[in-house]
Amino acid sequence: MNKKVITILAVVVIAIVLLTAYKTFLSPKGEEGSKEVTIHIVNKNENIDETFTYKTDHEYLLQLLEEKQEELGVTLEETEYGPMVTGMANYVVDPAKQEFFLISINGEDAMTGVAEIPLKDKDVYKFELTNY
Amino acid sequence: MKIRDIALIGILSAIMTAGKLVLSFIPNIEIVTLLFIVYTVTFGVKKGLLISLIFSTTEIFLYGFSTWLLGYYIVWPLLVIFTGLMNKRIKSEYGYATLGAIFGYTFGALFAVVESFFYGPAYGWAYWIRGIGFDLVHGTSNFIIILILYKPMIHMLNRLKKTYYGT
Repeated sequence: MNKKVITILAVVVIAIVLLTAYKTFLSPKGEEGSKEVTIHIVNKNENIDETFTYKTDHEYLLQLLEEKQEELGVTLEETEYGPMVTGMANYVVDPAKQEFFLISINGEDAMTGVAEIPLKDKDVYKFELTNY
Repeated sequence: MKIRDIALIGILSAIMTAGKLVLSFIPNIEIVTLLFIVYTVTFGVKKGLLISLIFSTTEIFLYGFSTWLLGYYIVWPLLVIFTGLMNKRIKSEYGYATLGAIFGYTFGALFAVVESFFYGPAYGWAYWIRGIGFDLVHGTSNFIIILILYKPMIHMLNRLKKTYYGT
């Protein structure tokens, strides 16, 4: 058999073995779902910088936050504009200090509330405590 | 630099972007690594570096600015420099295929370092671990693509280079 074909077959077999080992031992575990998303919480005042990766079938960020409310320490408040995130990682914003959680998607500021932010595969949703 | 060179760099950069877009529907299988290697071997490191800058800037025009695009300004020039450094030592397509494979396997790690500067080491670590599966596909597909296409592409580019420059 051609030397190149043998080399390619050998490399593919090694890659499959390594991929299987990665999936078994190293790959982040999450609920089965079609999308993998990351929630990144930053609160410099409380030295909080945490990242959570989930596999989900939910369509919108709000649904995921409600499902993982306890783990993420989420506090939601109903406003006339829809649900608003007022707490993350068990820290609730202090309006007297003009605090709020700035939401960004892959580094870009969100233009809508959590109920209107669709979950997309590989996206990173960052909640950063900020002052206005 | 002559006008002929500028035109050539523009054309090669356009082929690079087109090559990436054509395969963009398959995650982490690309011909950009192959093209950077054959461009650098055929036209030299200087032109390779200029193409990498144009390619990375075009990506920003296409996808908008984000931190991972900054990584492009680091990883692709690195590939060009390594190819230039290894050029005289590598005697066959197996060497370049290995270089492309190593590049693919470490792609996520290189990006994780860049991301760490923006979002912290914890995020960088999670980013790398989460992407190892993609890196495995990337490195392996690079190896296969370069092993199969390096020789015919080098022959074709050398022939076109002679015609273009009239040497």
